[in-house]
Amino acid sequence: MMRAVLFSALLIMSGTQTNAADEAWKTDPTAFIHHFAQAGIDDILTADIDTVEKTARFRTLFNQGFDIPAISRFVIGRTWRRTSDSDKEAFIALFEDVIVYTWSRRFNEYTGQTIKVLGTSPDGKTGTLVDSVIVDDAGQTISAQWRLRQREEGLRIVDIIIEGVSMSITYRQDYASVIRQQGGMTGLLDLLGKQVVENAPS
Amino acid sequence: MTVFLKSPSLLKHAVASTLAVFVLSACASKPPATDMEAVRAYEQNNDPLEPWNRSMMQIDQGLDTIFFNPVISVYQTVVPEPGRRGVTNAIRNFRTPITLANDIFQGEGSRASTTFSRFLINSTIGLFGLFDVAGRWGLPYHSEDLGQTLAVWGVGEGPYLYFPILGPSGGRDITGYAVDNLGIDAMAWVGRADNPFWWQVAYFGGLAIDAKSNAKSTLEELEASSIDYYAALRTAYRQNRAKEIRNGAPAPLPEFDDFDDEDGDPFSRLETETESAQTAALPK
Repeated sequence: MMRAVLFSALLIMSGTQTNAADEAWKTDPTAFIHHFAQAGIDDILTADIDTVEKTARFRTLFNQGFDIPAISRFVIGRTWRRTSDSDKEAFIALFEDVIVYTWSRRFNEYTGQTIKVLGTSPDGKTGTLVDSVIVDDAGQTISAQWRLRQREEGLRIVDIIIEGVSMSITYRQDYASVIRQQGGMTGLLDLLGKQVVENAPS
Repeated sequence: MTVFLKSPSLLKHAVASTLAVFVLSACASKPPATDMEAVRAYEQNNDPLEPWNRSMMQIDQGLDTIFFNPVISVYQTVVPEPGRRGVTNAIRNFRTPITLANDIFQGEGSRASTTFSRFLINSTIGLFGLFDVAGRWGLPYHSEDLGQTLAVWGVGEGPYLYFPILGPSGGRDITGYAVDNLGIDAMAWVGRADNPFWWQVAYFGGLAIDAKSNAKSTLEELEASSIDYYAALRTAYRQNRAKEIRNGAPAPLPEFDDFDDEDGDPFSRLETETESAQTAALPK
């Protein structure tokens, strides 16, 4: 399932350099998904480059496709308002590393999955929920929903829900438990730092 | 579970050791009422036996290391993916009575009819269930169990529980699991016909290996991406169960925008509502 998250995120997030003439994908949720899906396959998953280069491209695309500061606030929850600015910055940077490195480990397992958008619906005041399925080569489907927000720079993903499991809520519960056990953000930052070192490509 | 009932000494041993652990107060201590945030988190987690559950997860991981992972590794090497899918298909087909009964219990006529048609097609043309022919003919697989039925009937999920081999569960779901397997599953009836204890060990062992083999890469990914894997798995299990109970319908999203609050505290207002909305059972 998490692999499905990775692949579908990659499918979606790649390649802002392609098709610069057609800007509709910056504001149209379905076009956003389709645009990134095709470019993601071409620029990362099936590109003839090494893992380090794939990881670097993925980091760029992750920043272009996701609203990382908003997700960071969400996953830290109520502790965020008590967190110092420097700790907030440190968290956002580590959280980005965690996702980039854990997802990068699976780049070579892509086996031709495609994404099919089923429809969209409103989500919050300015957001859109895109409902989709990821279809593998055997015709098996996995449900994937994308929570998008319109930002000044264009659409940004704030959550991916795979088979009912929200990435943002899962991280939030994980980190809430760590913050409780460690007695605050400092302990969480230490553990994230260790996790990043463990997962960083060698 | 059948295994336990067929072996009174195992059952007694399990009950005795469970009681012993309760006596040794494996309960998570409830935070003082003055610490409202902690109390809210405690209630939201609904995991009063957390220390006990965490040790059950360690036992499960130990069993994986010494037994299941080596077996799964051999299984995945010897049997290629299409073969393993055939095994999963055959198991699902054999366990049709559980899904069919619960489709009916939930008043889901058209889903019950799909389940029954699938059984007829896959048991014959699909060679005893090895091939999911019905799926290709537009009758996709779905699972139902008594835990889901009880949820649709309005029964709450009960405290979170973790069992070695079975994995994450809860008061409602484990009750449903026991009744499904002891009362509805075909193997339970075969079991009453005086068949050897080891058949049932082999049957449940096979179910466990199939389930663990299918879940392995997903769980490894969750473990790698999380810090407190126990807490991450607990919420992932509940969210996924909530989706199964909704029969795949999307989770209701909160009306307020929890990703748009720039002052850094999007959660003070309605925090619990977000999660209960995500995990709530929605009987139709």
